[in-house]
Amino acid sequence: MCTLDLLKTGETGRIIRLKGGKHFISRITAMGFTPETKIKMISNRGRGPIIVFLRDTMVALGRGETLKISVKAGAV
Amino acid sequence: MITGVRTKSYTVALAGQPNTGKSTVFNRLTGAKQHVGNWPGKTVEKKMGFYDYDGNKYNIVDLPGTYSLTANSMEERITRDYLIKENPDVIIVMADAAQLERTLYLLAEIRTLAVPVVLALNMMDIAEGQGKKIDVEILEMSAGVPVVPIAAAIGRGFERLLALVAKTVKTGRSPEKNIYGNSDFIREYQKLKTLISGKIPSPYTEEWIAVKLIENDNEAVGIVKENVSLSDFEKVRSCMERIPDGILLAADSRYNWIQEVLSMALDNSETDKRERKHSGFDRAATHPVWGKLIAVGIMVISFAAAMIIAIPLMSALQAVLPFISLSLREFFSDAPVWIGSLFADGLLPGIFVALCMLSYIFGVYIVFGVLEDVGYLARLAYIFDRSMSRLGLHGKSFMPLLMSFGCNIAGVTGTRVIDSWRQRMVTLVLVSIIPCLALWAVVSFMGMIFFGPGMPLVIISLLLVMVLYLVLTSVLLRKTVLKGESTGLIMELPPYHKPNWKTILSYVWVQIKGFLKRAVTLITVITIFIWALSYQPDGNIENSILASIGRFFDPLSGLMGLDWKLFIALVAAIVAKEASLSVLAVLYGIGQGCMSITSLLIPGSGGFEEASLIGSLAHSISPASALAFIFAFFFSIPCIGTIATINSETRSLGWTAGCSLYYTLISFIAGVLAYRAGLIIF
Repeated sequence: MCTLDLLKTGETGRIIRLKGGKHFISRITAMGFTPETKIKMISNRGRGPIIVFLRDTMVALGRGETLKISVKAGAV
Repeated sequence: MITGVRTKSYTVALAGQPNTGKSTVFNRLTGAKQHVGNWPGKTVEKKMGFYDYDGNKYNIVDLPGTYSLTANSMEERITRDYLIKENPDVIIVMADAAQLERTLYLLAEIRTLAVPVVLALNMMDIAEGQGKKIDVEILEMSAGVPVVPIAAAIGRGFERLLALVAKTVKTGRSPEKNIYGNSDFIREYQKLKTLISGKIPSPYTEEWIAVKLIENDNEAVGIVKENVSLSDFEKVRSCMERIPDGILLAADSRYNWIQEVLSMALDNSETDKRERKHSGFDRAATHPVWGKLIAVGIMVISFAAAMIIAIPLMSALQAVLPFISLSLREFFSDAPVWIGSLFADGLLPGIFVALCMLSYIFGVYIVFGVLEDVGYLARLAYIFDRSMSRLGLHGKSFMPLLMSFGCNIAGVTGTRVIDSWRQRMVTLVLVSIIPCLALWAVVSFMGMIFFGPGMPLVIISLLLVMVLYLVLTSVLLRKTVLKGESTGLIMELPPYHKPNWKTILSYVWVQIKGFLKRAVTLITVITIFIWALSYQPDGNIENSILASIGRFFDPLSGLMGLDWKLFIALVAAIVAKEASLSVLAVLYGIGQGCMSITSLLIPGSGGFEEASLIGSLAHSISPASALAFIFAFFFSIPCIGTIATINSETRSLGWTAGCSLYYTLISFIAGVLAYRAGLIIF
């Protein structure tokens, strides 16, 4: 298990846990992030924001937000 | 002939997540029969319209696009309050057939309310192209709501949508409210539902309240507290405490429902093979280096396009103006001189300036409307997220800052895209620090006279100081009045699509109307005020009240090395930045005598030759003073149109006055420091 920022471009994984305040959780869940969701890293350049693909949607996240999301890497 | 059929009138609410094509549907349904206002007490637009069908009238309310119905943002609160309290006859919920799993989320929330729902599956053509097979009949059964497939962009499916809305209005049945979820969630949900059973006043439903209790929603808790016994409320509390991550579980339960619904209705087997790729262009557009290069290219083209739209409009205005001015004077030739002057030198220039600004922002809005509509702006926010984070902001702040280089007014309204109030306010204050195109015109004119080949150095130092100023202002705001945790970027990157001109033009029209409403009167009033201060029948501006005011401030302007003439030119910039040049022309004796400096707002009316103005200025102003003027001017308070916009966007006189004072103070400091530096350098 690792935080989302460690997933490399092209890798897939499954969301394990989300942490953060009420505001963050309600926004991120409405974008499709919930535990057990399949997620694919579209672009991660090691710094700056990232792009992921989940639930038919491309979402951009700030690096700070990726630290609040833990994932289990691996084929899904 | 009397038909004898009484027409009925129904209310239809249009809801949907952003990028599901809601505006396209709204514009198609209502055509020209729409009007735009604001939600009471909010800066969020409220679009309403109507259409006739089967002899009945259907009033449509376009709700703000939201991803969910929590009460996090103004948009969410408005949508939610409207759906619950205004009791529409039916809600059309939009979903994107190509992104069903997430876009059904809003339906998953709305269906627990007591209002009939029609689900409009938009972008069916795109979904089909991706190989997604959606069985509409099965979807209707499993979701428990009537469903209509449409392709709004190409106008497909509207007949069926209208028929289905009419039918649903008549049955008046709201969706089934079966709830899915994991065992913890379902257990507490059932307990809560039993506890509140029979005690929830309409228009709320028990299902809605029970789920919102699990989410620890303030409104739901308040309603339950009022309507159940104290001992039951204690039990409700303890249920809520057993699931601290209720928001997560409630979201999970909605996606569970969606998956259940889609498991039968959606055949994805084809699409797994051709999964949506990060296309070649998008890969480049989001690349840290290529993406920025593309962005710069698009920006240059955009501003050029904005100017190509704006300049003919302004030239046309300039062409007819002398004629109008002359006719006005003739018309008032029998009245006292000052009355003719009031109209020709006061009112007319005021309206002219407002119309010029209008052409500017018209161009800027069209260009940004297109970029937004095709989906590019989200990419722009993404690639500049890192740069923006150095200002304590996130990517979404980039767009308003960029628009500001065109026109500060557009930048200030552009801050609406930022969802957190705190970050929006920081951005709003920063936006007006950005030099607009009109300002550059004056700066480059002055710079070329005094610094010629040294001009690039002056520009570089201006930009460096600007960056420093932006950073310090942001830090200052976030350390004082706008303290608190900042959230970063969470943003959908919508698929690219062709621009929809109707949607874009309706967006531009709304913005223009907003500008006309708030700024035109104010600009005119201020212009007339300045006209009055500088009105002189003999055309000698040195005798005006304005000149005395300028001399009164001599001790202060002296610190910047400015004489009263330069000072007045600085003040004139409040009406419009470009006005300063014509004011300088008259004050330095190049222009013809004029009755009031406001008449100089109309280009060419001062009748000065650029060459002689250059000579006169270079002769009578020292380089240090010129540098001070350029700096003070560059950082001066934005024009009155922007100030009016700040006021209408913040709805706070405190913020408006505070910002104005702050900009003025900084402008003064910049002028003083530049003068000192200039004295050392030259």
